[in-house]
Amino acid sequence: MDAHAHAPAHGKDHVPHVLPLSTYLKTWGALLVLTAVTVGASYVNFGAANLWIALLIASVKAATVALVFMHLYYDHKFHAVIFGVSLIFLAIFIIFTMFDTEARGRADGIERERPADIKAPFAGTAAERAIKEKHAAPKPTGEAAHAP
Amino acid sequence: MSAATPELHASKEGEQAGEGFHVAHHFDSADVQFDAGRMGIWLFLVTEILLFGGLFCAFAVFRSWYYADFVEAHHHLDRVMGAVNTVVLICSSLTMALAVRSAQMSKTRLTSVLIGLTIALSCVFLAIKFVEYQHKFHEGLLPGKYFTAEGFHGHHAGIFFAVYFMMTGIHGIHILIGMGLMIWLLRRNMRGEFSSRYYAPIEGFGLYWHLVDLVWIYLFPLLYLIG
Repeated sequence: MDAHAHAPAHGKDHVPHVLPLSTYLKTWGALLVLTAVTVGASYVNFGAANLWIALLIASVKAATVALVFMHLYYDHKFHAVIFGVSLIFLAIFIIFTMFDTEARGRADGIERERPADIKAPFAGTAAERAIKEKHAAPKPTGEAAHAP
Repeated sequence: MSAATPELHASKEGEQAGEGFHVAHHFDSADVQFDAGRMGIWLFLVTEILLFGGLFCAFAVFRSWYYADFVEAHHHLDRVMGAVNTVVLICSSLTMALAVRSAQMSKTRLTSVLIGLTIALSCVFLAIKFVEYQHKFHEGLLPGKYFTAEGFHGHHAGIFFAVYFMMTGIHGIHILIGMGLMIWLLRRNMRGEFSSRYYAPIEGFGLYWHLVDLVWIYLFPLLYLIG
């Protein structure tokens, strides 16, 4: 296992990509400002948009941390793809769950008015069947003569 | 990620730091090894995002079911302490990012100081969380069936606190695990194992730590400010 005792056998050393100190400090400053904005915005009532505005500001902060502190901006694009894809799947997860839970109970009123018979779901309600029979009644003998 | 006899090169700044490192034989070069390690950490972060994502989804569902209860209950969270914790974590993210940077420049002593600062800031975060939890226990603002506080209009405030304790609790466990890992990194750094040629564990931990910060960045407004 220790056949390669010295690094030169594998080519050049890794040269780190060092960002200037000012980049880190400016990012830190931006995050603190955005935190103040987050708290400040919470004192204003935007109604239903409260949630979305909070999420928007939080996402700007998150993007700042991810792009600079986590080096995503300077790294292989594939790492950003990995991160981005996980967020897309998370969004699908939450959005579709919300579609489902928010729509619950929507069918209750309709089912109460027009309950379906499991054995004959397309037969309609008793009133609908009565109407159908009324219009169909004169025809039976004529159809029986032409039945294959 | 191997390191041979580090004691001979303990704590010497500059070229002597990280002398024990050599590229594992199944990688073509040091760059490939670092890229593979970083990508692995990103894949791990995806699992963490999905872990907290599941909890955020539960929060979203219960909030849509019991909106009034959630709004009422969230007023009992101390947003000042929450905001201070947010600032504490942002500062710890800075010190951690700077620790990675100083390791990149083989500044062993500065790296140790910065990792130490990050550990200290984590202690502050957990101390504030402890005070918050203590207050909740005292008032009976507890999860689900343990909820005994008085003076609530709705009947589902216990669900808000169940979500609150679950999410901040699991987040807090991640901070604790992070502190353990930082102590390990600090020991390795003080033994001179890291340098500009090899700082992968510090960078990898840095990514994990930033993710912990990211989760809090979303937790704070959703739990404390919006409810």
